[in-house]
Amino acid sequence: MSPPVVEARGVTRTFPMPAGPVVAVRDLSVTIATGEFVSVCGPSGCGKSTLLHILGCVDTPSTGELLVDGRDVSTLGDAARSALRLSKIGFVFQRFFLLPMLTAAENVELPQAEAGVSRAERRSRTSALLDYVGLAHRAHHRPSQLSGGEAQRVAIARALANRPRLLLADEPTGELDQATGQQIVGLFERVHADGTTVVVVTHDPAIAARTPRMLSMRDGRIEDGGSR
Amino acid sequence: MSILSALFLFAAGAVPPPAPPPPDPPAILVSRQLLASEHLALGDVIALSGDAKGSRAREFRIAGVYEPVPDPGRLGMVPLEARLHLPDLVALIADPADPAASESVRSISVKLVSPAEASAFTRDLTARVPGLLLRELAASDDSDVTFVVLDRFHLAISLVTVIASSIFLLALMVMLVDERRDTVAILRLIGLRRRRIFIQVLGEGLVIALAGALFGVLLAVVLEGGFNRFFQWRYDTALVFVRVTPAIAARAVSVAVPLGILASVAASWSLLRRGAMALARR
Amino acid sequence: MRAKVWTFALRSLARQPGRAVLGILGVAAVGALLFDMLLLSRGLLVSFRALLDSAGFDVRVMAADAPAFARPRIADAETAAAEIRALPDVDEVASLRLGSAIVTGPDGGKHDIFFIGADAETRRRPWILLEGSDLGASDSGGPPALVVNRRLATALLLRPGSELTLRGDCTRGSATAAPPVRFRIAGFAAFPFDDPKAMTAAARLADFGRTCGLDEKSDADLFLVASREGRGPAAAVRAIRALRSDLHAFSNEEIVARFQQVGFSYFRQISAVLSTITLFFGFLLITVLLTVSVNQRFAEIAALRALGFTRRRVVLDVLAQAVLLVGAGGILSLPLGLALARWLESILHAMPEIPAAMHFFAFEPRALATHALLLALTAVLAALYPMRLVSRLPIAATLRSEMVT
Repeated sequence: MSPPVVEARGVTRTFPMPAGPVVAVRDLSVTIATGEFVSVCGPSGCGKSTLLHILGCVDTPSTGELLVDGRDVSTLGDAARSALRLSKIGFVFQRFFLLPMLTAAENVELPQAEAGVSRAERRSRTSALLDYVGLAHRAHHRPSQLSGGEAQRVAIARALANRPRLLLADEPTGELDQATGQQIVGLFERVHADGTTVVVVTHDPAIAARTPRMLSMRDGRIEDGGSR
Repeated sequence: MSILSALFLFAAGAVPPPAPPPPDPPAILVSRQLLASEHLALGDVIALSGDAKGSRAREFRIAGVYEPVPDPGRLGMVPLEARLHLPDLVALIADPADPAASESVRSISVKLVSPAEASAFTRDLTARVPGLLLRELAASDDSDVTFVVLDRFHLAISLVTVIASSIFLLALMVMLVDERRDTVAILRLIGLRRRRIFIQVLGEGLVIALAGALFGVLLAVVLEGGFNRFFQWRYDTALVFVRVTPAIAARAVSVAVPLGILASVAASWSLLRRGAMALARR
Repeated sequence: MRAKVWTFALRSLARQPGRAVLGILGVAAVGALLFDMLLLSRGLLVSFRALLDSAGFDVRVMAADAPAFARPRIADAETAAAEIRALPDVDEVASLRLGSAIVTGPDGGKHDIFFIGADAETRRRPWILLEGSDLGASDSGGPPALVVNRRLATALLLRPGSELTLRGDCTRGSATAAPPVRFRIAGFAAFPFDDPKAMTAAARLADFGRTCGLDEKSDADLFLVASREGRGPAAAVRAIRALRSDLHAFSNEEIVARFQQVGFSYFRQISAVLSTITLFFGFLLITVLLTVSVNQRFAEIAALRALGFTRRRVVLDVLAQAVLLVGAGGILSLPLGLALARWLESILHAMPEIPAAMHFFAFEPRALATHALLLALTAVLAALYPMRLVSRLPIAATLRSEMVT
């Protein structure tokens, strides 16, 4: 078995609310091995996105451990977690969150520049990535000039910009029609086939069915597929 | 300057009454500031001299204290003054070797029965007494000019602040309208006409501008006392520096309200001229 | 901050050009006013000092520490001047008498002019000769010499060599009984303390005395003293005070300090009040602009954080935006401020008795530095609140709430 990219051990995430604390993720353990393509599905409010945020180091578990590449990241400071996300984790959001004032190419270059990649290397890598997602001809278009599917493909290229080991996607087809959604899933399959570990949160069973491994969540717990 | 007006005394101070005390020193009035500065009191006998060496000093009894007429031209100068009867002053400063010294005055202030005839009086007297310089006080007084100039200066400053405020207001309205872009798009999509939304924006602009202007006037009224007290303390003067009159309040409101409405119209214009779909699409 | 931070901030601002332009214009307007207030706060002092220094005398000696119009005169001026002149710290002493005189113009109209009696034996003069010759130590026959300012020359159609009759009106509190005196115009001069409407003439002390019916060796209103080179005005002032405790000697620096306390206090106060208000206004404008902008970009900022941007990086972005807005507005405010200063100067110069060479708004490099410093401080302070918002932005909660909305 491949070594785990990310591993959650007995993770609980509680949100303090005026009406009392809400437990979004409850004593959950899951391991994502290198090279896996995993979907996380379940009804709204079951804790899918919270789990994804914890796995992606943007949220901290209230209790439990999180290991990325075998290293406990629960106690890391903000700068170290940011550096970890920048180099090892790629994020794709439901609403793309491309920066409207930048072109598609500039959006893809942005995380590379942040990681200190040289200008020449950035140009070459961006060009390759846009070609990879089939948008080389749209490199100099702004997000407002792109369709939803195109914008999401740019967002995937951006997420892959620093060659992350883990790609996390939160409802990546939520804003798209079915056909475009299927194209995006196809792109994820290709990314996975090229060696990147992919975790996709979705409420669409058809998309979940296309992944080799499916985690089914309910009430903050994994009902099925949690351990391998 | 009238001879009975201010005489500045700098070398003078309180001295112990000489022995034996003169039977009845002449009475003088001193300014509040001189009284405080030299730690004097009503009834004190003080020595005054017309020169810095203190020669030919004479004694006077403080009969009263007065508040000097505030003079913006002498702002910042502490009015250490005393008022003497004319014969006392002449006796104090006139050169004994010059017989004419006790017979002359620097100026004579004249109050006419009919002030409207001041110009005719001036012409007539100039013709009768050649060499006499006459000046109508109402015509042009330096302190008046100072006031007028300061008034213009303040007006110019307020013009700049109005411009800056208008820009600020416009920026605020642009942001406010931009925040409501989605709402406007929805209203347009469900069939509300541009005119209907425009009137609503105009109404809101009017309410905001009116409320802002009234709040501004209220703030000015509240700050008025503070400003005056601070500067009156700072300069030891009875001058009033800030006065929010109804006319000024009305002027402020009449400038602020149209500007507020204009700002809201200008800000909403870019939103209203676009199609509903363009607004919704972002 | 690295170039990429500036570039990113610039692109962020350019995203909403209308808002950015309004922000810059707002800062430019308040910055211009701030700049002018800084110029005003020291303008009079700077130009007053320049006027005091212009004639080369660095110490003034008076009979009393009092305003000019109420000041007693220095008695037995010739003796006093000689005593002061003999001091080793003193290079030169010029006695000055101040008064007024009446002249008759070519149209028969009478003019009240400012009349100065000055020591003609000094190398330095309290005026600058523009044309013709200066007052000599003595006249070789003919009417005594007089130098006049251009305004008087123009009003009375005078040229060097022409003659003018003065009727003295020189003493406070007593009329002049002396007969009118006919003078020969030796030259035209610029008197540093002349206001734009002033008509001024200067004669030798003896001729001033004759015109005013005074004893030649009588009082003086003022001694202008030049300290000896290498000794300095402070030493000269100390020496004069030690010599004549009944007189009041002040260096130019002391006179400026005194005027700073009283004479120019109003403009300093108003400039302080307006500077504070303008800075607060600029602070408010930038804070509001950035706060609204940040609020609208919460989800986007959270996404950038999720992609690996550090907290410091997004906070720097907000700071850079504030600096760019205030920087651009600040640069624009300088030409605007200079233009505004010219306008305000023209308004204030209508005040009576303000010397034409004196300026309410005088440019100084330190005003520019203070302006830049205050604006930079405003930018940082204005950015504090939006920076705090960004730094405390919870990434996951923001992304989650964006999904819900």
